[in-house]
Amino acid sequence: MNGIIGVLYREMRVLKSRIYRNILASSVSPLLFLLAFGYGIGRNSTVGQTGYIDFLIPGLIAMTSMNQSYGISSDINISRFYFKTFDEYLLAPVGRWEIITGEVIYGIIKGLIPVIIILIYGYIAGMRHIPSLVMIPALLMHLIIFSLMGIAVALKVKNHGDQFAVNAFVITPMIFLSGTFYPVEKMPLVVKYLAHIFPMTYTTTLIRGSVIGTEASYMLNFGISALIAGFLFWLCLYIVKEMEP
Amino acid sequence: MLIEAVELVKKFDKKAAVDGISLSVGTGESVALLGPNGAGKTTTVNMLTGLSRPTSGKILYNGKVFSADDNNIKREIGVVPQHNNVDRDLTVEENLIVHCKLFGIKDIQKAVSGALDFSGLGDHKDKTAEKLSGGMKRRLVIARALLHNPKVLFLDEPTTGLDASVRRTLWNFIRSINKNHGCTVVMTTHYIEEAEMLSDRVIIMDSGKIAAEGKTKELKNTIGKYALDVYKENEIETIYFETRHEAINTLEKITEEAKVREVTLEDVYLKITGRRIDA
Repeated sequence: MNGIIGVLYREMRVLKSRIYRNILASSVSPLLFLLAFGYGIGRNSTVGQTGYIDFLIPGLIAMTSMNQSYGISSDINISRFYFKTFDEYLLAPVGRWEIITGEVIYGIIKGLIPVIIILIYGYIAGMRHIPSLVMIPALLMHLIIFSLMGIAVALKVKNHGDQFAVNAFVITPMIFLSGTFYPVEKMPLVVKYLAHIFPMTYTTTLIRGSVIGTEASYMLNFGISALIAGFLFWLCLYIVKEMEP
Repeated sequence: MLIEAVELVKKFDKKAAVDGISLSVGTGESVALLGPNGAGKTTTVNMLTGLSRPTSGKILYNGKVFSADDNNIKREIGVVPQHNNVDRDLTVEENLIVHCKLFGIKDIQKAVSGALDFSGLGDHKDKTAEKLSGGMKRRLVIARALLHNPKVLFLDEPTTGLDASVRRTLWNFIRSINKNHGCTVVMTTHYIEEAEMLSDRVIIMDSGKIAAEGKTKELKNTIGKYALDVYKENEIETIYFETRHEAINTLEKITEEAKVREVTLEDVYLKITGRRIDA
């Protein structure tokens, strides 16, 4: 467990030193999306029986918390390429799984910061639903997946340019096609199939289901998400085992 | 032997950065891997510390085969990388605490306080690492590597980029680690003077291979004791002699500008590889 404790201690100290910047980053972008989509487009619209604001808020939670947890990839990337601090983990007598687990817990903590902020925005904007307890495992699953994805990308890319390419060609399309702002069911057939490649589609369904109580198949979505998380964990283990300075 | 490397090879895209080297390091010894950039020194250290996997060959610590996953052996190793890989956002003290936690050190306060005393960074413990000078960062990295009382300390180019006075201070620091604390030291350097000053034994590397190895004096004696540098139009020709008398006799017979001096490790390197170490 020394690896988990060491990695987490290090990451939490770094987070502490940047906490105000982090809170600000978690506050501004969802507010802009809320203004643009919630007020600009969908103020009086509904999705099925649900008001658009109530539909949008879980999507914003999924998107912003994903950005934060996946964002650990930038931190790892900088520590790998610029400051070489990641080598300290590799030189320590700790299991590779401990390094990954420490980073995942950090990603979860980082990803939880915007959740409260967005819920406050939501209630100010007139959201009526109250999240159920399912939101806790749904968010955890969501944050685990995107922390793992962040770790895998950060450790696999060869430079910052590659990292930007992944963000541009995978992360951004995923945000818009995974039911964050519009229901996947309403999208054209091809996009609908494409959406189901992205793990965010399943976790957004879970988060939205836990907030507005849509008839999401929890078992199916949790099952698929758990499989994705398991695969990503294995992938991260493999990458860390094979990585060279 | 504390460390033995047998026929180590490391290839990157089929090109061998380290090409079948075998070396051994005894307990308490101080050994320098000397060679120019690209000689394979850092790659060798990376393999010996578990940061990189050999393409072939094996590494033994106290006769036991070492792999990157062998945490028992990794506990015995301290590493000072070429780059000052401190966390700039963290204070000096926090940097040390991270290492303590990763190595499972029980009495963190005692270990950190000892490291701060040893490195002379006690007055700077609450400063973020980014505010430290280059020499202080280097001392922090060395103190951090020693926190878990390793049996062997690897230093990769420990004084590169530092000015002469800071370099001297660090040399004393490294000597004291080896001579007073009994820690085995393996270092890489391309500074001849550093290798001579700090090591009991020198391993000269060139193009991924070991070109020569031995005690400094033994290596120098292989080519002679005195060198005569003859300044020709486009080059300096160096001739080696066993005695000063022979060198001076030759000096008196030549017409070009020339001077006699004692043989250095640089001469050994030049003689073996045909190139200067900084070429």
